Amino acid sequence: MLANSAELFKFTRLTLIWLTLIFGSVWGACFIVGVLLPTLLLRACDNEIFALLAQICQYLTPLIAILVFIPINAMFMVLVERRGLALFTVRMGPNRVGPDGLLQTAADAVKLLFKEDIIPTGADAWLFTLAPIIFFAPSIFGSIPLLAAITGNNDLFAITNLPTGIFFIIAASSVPVVGIVMGGWASNNKYSLVGGLRSAAQAISYEIPLVLSLVTICYLNQSLNVVEIASRQTGGFLNWNIFGGGALNGLDKYLNALINGSSNANDILQAYYPSNQWILTVIAIAGLVVSTIIAFFMYITAACAEVNRIPFDLPEAESELVSGYNTEYSGIKFAIFFLAEFTNLFIVSSIATIMFLGAGNNPIPQFLIDYLFKNVTFIPQTINAITQALSPLINQIHLINPITFWSVVWMIVKTYSLVFFAVLVRGTLPRFKIDQLMDFGWKRLIPLSLLVFFIVIFAKGVINTNV
Amino acid sequence: MSNLLTRAKDSIYQVLRGLKTVAVHSLRIPTTKEYPDTMPPLPPHFRGRLALNVNPETNEHLCISCRQCERVCPDKCIEITAHKSPETNKLELIDFKIDHGLCMFCGLCTEVCPTDCIINTNDFEMADYSREALVYDIRKLTLTQGESSHYFAAKEIALPKPKPAKPVASAPIAPSIAKPVETKTEAKPVETKTEAKPAETKTETKPAETKTEAKPAETDTDTKSTDNESK
Repeated sequence: MLANSAELFKFTRLTLIWLTLIFGSVWGACFIVGVLLPTLLLRACDNEIFALLAQICQYLTPLIAILVFIPINAMFMVLVERRGLALFTVRMGPNRVGPDGLLQTAADAVKLLFKEDIIPTGADAWLFTLAPIIFFAPSIFGSIPLLAAITGNNDLFAITNLPTGIFFIIAASSVPVVGIVMGGWASNNKYSLVGGLRSAAQAISYEIPLVLSLVTICYLNQSLNVVEIASRQTGGFLNWNIFGGGALNGLDKYLNALINGSSNANDILQAYYPSNQWILTVIAIAGLVVSTIIAFFMYITAACAEVNRIPFDLPEAESELVSGYNTEYSGIKFAIFFLAEFTNLFIVSSIATIMFLGAGNNPIPQFLIDYLFKNVTFIPQTINAITQALSPLINQIHLINPITFWSVVWMIVKTYSLVFFAVLVRGTLPRFKIDQLMDFGWKRLIPLSLLVFFIVIFAKGVINTNV
Repeated sequence: MSNLLTRAKDSIYQVLRGLKTVAVHSLRIPTTKEYPDTMPPLPPHFRGRLALNVNPETNEHLCISCRQCERVCPDKCIEITAHKSPETNKLELIDFKIDHGLCMFCGLCTEVCPTDCIINTNDFEMADYSREALVYDIRKLTLTQGESSHYFAAKEIALPKPKPAKPVASAPIAPSIAKPVETKTEAKPVETKTEAKPAETKTETKPAETKTEAKPAETDTDTKSTDNESK
């Protein structure tokens, strides 16, 4: 059917294998540190010190999860990017190392770690070393609050949940630009310096639409807490923030009542959307839905600029500046820059998923599933049987938590779809010029984001999203 | 304002068009040739590594030590060692060296070769660790019987006639221009050099000997076995 089905199959297989590898190892690490080790410690000796150690182990779980996740994920994303770009440009991509090129990036990582670490003459050695760390650490460890939303507020990760989660993440993610400027300055190289300064200009310009589009969502959900924002989007894609941030909740409930043959369907509709001012209601709903969709794409655009992805990769424009701010870096410092870049891409994608795309919630409405599979009894039976069979794992060993499992599965699907979209954009769009970049940021995106914000404020006053 | 909206609409349309193009391209079969795994289809006249043919039927070496390739080579990368056989008074090939590090694969040597001995093969993978290893001697240059017959078929070269017949084909032209009388008279006594074109052989160190072109059918049939080293 498809001419290229062999390559597409290889790409899918590669993705599945690597995803299993990543999340299997993260899961294993979390289980060992968060469940197995504390249990063993408590069983070994029942005194206070051991109890304290067990608790420390549990508190360390999110950190361990991140530390295991980052390097493997970066390897996987580099491979997906290369293979994906190869797909889009009618090439084959890396397919030599390991079975079908699966280990290409692992080999690259090993090579980078063993390369000589050079500090160029005239460079400021102290700042030169500090720059990758400042680039790497804040945004990645600042994103820890996301873990609570990703895992469906699992007990082990609940401590990462902050009441002001998204605020903290945004604040932390604006620090890395200091690292880029620092690296560019300390390199004692014209190209690096220009790259660093461009990055500063770009980050400052694009942070405003990025934050404004997130603020819009926070306003709609009346919360800065990522877990709460995620939990408000349960129950199908109509409740997602990208479709009005709750404006379609009533529609969702109405359809639910209608399909189930409930008698109070019209009452529900009336409660959500009062009919005495229906023209205003329709306008408000339409405004909200359009605004939030625009906000989503604005967020994606600004996030691309924040993490220096391709239409906005001026800080490391290969055709103008040799490699931008990381020209002079080699070995492990370059590896850290590389790692941080790809992890940042993952983080902005997961923020987009949590804020706009319903976090770890099932995109298909529950009533639709019930309706479609009303007569198919064997599927719920099989699921029940599997749950029964796995119940010792769930209840006694705590190996699997079904809520966390499904939440993570949907997060993976949505987040990596966005990552893939970023690769697709990289394969499509050419790079901006610096004046176009500034023009687009200041004259287009910022007014648009302000406009969206105001529309949302007024529209939200008209319809009641909190019944 | 309307201008702004039009431009926004237009640019979004263009971006979507680009995305569509990329999506369509991702369904095409890759154009990559996985070279070491699958060899590129080379035409038979591809000018690759130089090699020496043997007669595909009789396995006798086709080189007659005429040194035309050595002379025509612009890089001077061919070096032929031959000596005169005392019994038959004919040139006998001892060694044939080609420095592929110098060769520029112009193919002139293959064009002048009167016996279609030296040819360009389709082999181009000659990378080595030293320059000395790029100098191929006769052992490395001479093809096997099977390879020779393959190249004779692929390049559509007429199969060489058995040794006696070959000089006959060139003899009527060459000696007739030069000295038909001498060849007839001094055929056997004087040393015979199996040269195809007398005009060029005159430039050699011994003009007196080379003038005496002697390629009658009788002499060659006698010396056939001794003249050729078949390796």
